Amino acid sequence: MTSFATRRADARAGSRASAAGGGGVEIAGDAGPVLEARHLSVAFPGTGARGRGSGSVKVLDSLSVAVAPGEFVAVLGPSGCGKSTLLRALGGLLDPRAEVTGDGVVPRDGDGHRATAWMPQRDGLLPWRRALSNAMVGAIAAGVPRERALPRARELFEEFGLSGFEDAWPHELSGGMRQRLALLRTCLAERPVLLLDEPFGALDPVTRRRMNAWLATLDLAGSSDRAVVLVTHDVDEAIALADRIVVMSERPGRIVHEAHATGTGRYDRERLLAALDG
Amino acid sequence: MSTRARAALVSLTTVAVLVAAWETAVRVGDVAPFILPAPSQVLVTAVEQASLLGPHVATTSLEAVLGLALGAVVGWLLAVLTATVPVTGHAAHPVVLLSQTVPTIVLAPLMTLWAGFGLTSKVILVALTVFFPVLIAASAAIRDVDAEHADMVAGLGGTRRHQLWLVRLPASVPGALAGLRIAATYAIGAAVVSEYLAGQSGLGVYIQRSRKAYAVDQIFVGIALIAILSGLMVLAIVALRRSLTPWQAAMAAASTP
Repeated sequence: MTSFATRRADARAGSRASAAGGGGVEIAGDAGPVLEARHLSVAFPGTGARGRGSGSVKVLDSLSVAVAPGEFVAVLGPSGCGKSTLLRALGGLLDPRAEVTGDGVVPRDGDGHRATAWMPQRDGLLPWRRALSNAMVGAIAAGVPRERALPRARELFEEFGLSGFEDAWPHELSGGMRQRLALLRTCLAERPVLLLDEPFGALDPVTRRRMNAWLATLDLAGSSDRAVVLVTHDVDEAIALADRIVVMSERPGRIVHEAHATGTGRYDRERLLAALDG
Repeated sequence: MSTRARAALVSLTTVAVLVAAWETAVRVGDVAPFILPAPSQVLVTAVEQASLLGPHVATTSLEAVLGLALGAVVGWLLAVLTATVPVTGHAAHPVVLLSQTVPTIVLAPLMTLWAGFGLTSKVILVALTVFFPVLIAASAAIRDVDAEHADMVAGLGGTRRHQLWLVRLPASVPGALAGLRIAATYAIGAAVVSEYLAGQSGLGVYIQRSRKAYAVDQIFVGIALIAILSGLMVLAIVALRRSLTPWQAAMAAASTP
């Protein structure tokens, strides 16, 4: 694991680092960020066949981002800009071969668990576990006691529209249901930050729009003070869901634009699209 | 008629036609019984010698079942170990390959020398034959599933021990069972070869004695019993697989209309 991934949170409230590559970071409210990266650069050792110099491929370039408790942040960027890498870095999941520089924090709570629960692009459901048992993987891996997690899981099955499917095998569920189950599993980890990597990216457009509408009503953050970082290349998905949108450039990824939902909860879509096009 | 019943009918018909052709060839061609006995005569011999065959069948079956169990456990554990601690894989690789390059027929006398004429040497020889397909299939199953699911567990805060318990161990089971199904087809054969060279009881001993007595019909009884016992072993493994990996049966049922 990199030093980046294991460094502890220092309690200083919101160091408003303004990244050299653009993208100043503002933190909503007075509470310190629940998750923060400062001047984060990530490179992967190249295959050596192409390119000059060290032969390593720079994926993230001095990127700074902070997430406040309860905030829903969408990271918007073109395919291959390194947004999945950013999410992996925040979740402490970078390939050990990655060269990481900069400063960041993955705060750990009192029990020493990490602050984040990461949901992969593909659902990652275990084919040998029935639906409820698959959801419980989130609790087991995060060390949440079974007595607390199981009743919560049953509640969430209802809320996620999965009740009646507790004993189904994953292959018996539709694509949309599988993604919802994967999200449910991630919620059961009870971490302060959910990291969602294009959670509905693999679905067909119609199901995807339905899932987003459903996710917007779910209020994953908010009431529980749980922050969400969602990575997407879809402007409308970001607009529909996020309190704040961070736009990334082509690789190596930097933050080139940042927008908050205004009082009426609307973004300037054209502006976002322009930023996305560079 | 269901697809499975139709498949079974076709298989049985094929066997019946082959046996009938054999019977006809022997009768029409007037082949001497000490060259090639008719299947009917093999059946008569089998019935006559039923009480003599019982203990031989029991010995061989016991050797095969124990060897299969030992080989499966060793192969499976080795697959999990080498996937979890890669350096053990590099260490085990040459030894495993060496164990597979030496023919059983060469190893058998050595094993008798070291472990005696009894059950132990036969069980070890069967296990040596069996562990390899289990190891290969279980390792492949772990490799196929690893990256995505291991990341998922790590991303939820899981440790390496969680990855082992939640992902690697369960993922290896269907693979190990697939390897075991292959291994089951030659567990009986391996037991017979190990008896062939040294032993007091077993189908290998029975066939060896029959060969020395030029009792060709008895050799065929031995061959038929090897085939039947091997078939039963495979059926047992298939049943074990169904009870241990119920989701696979459900998946297969879902994919066939």
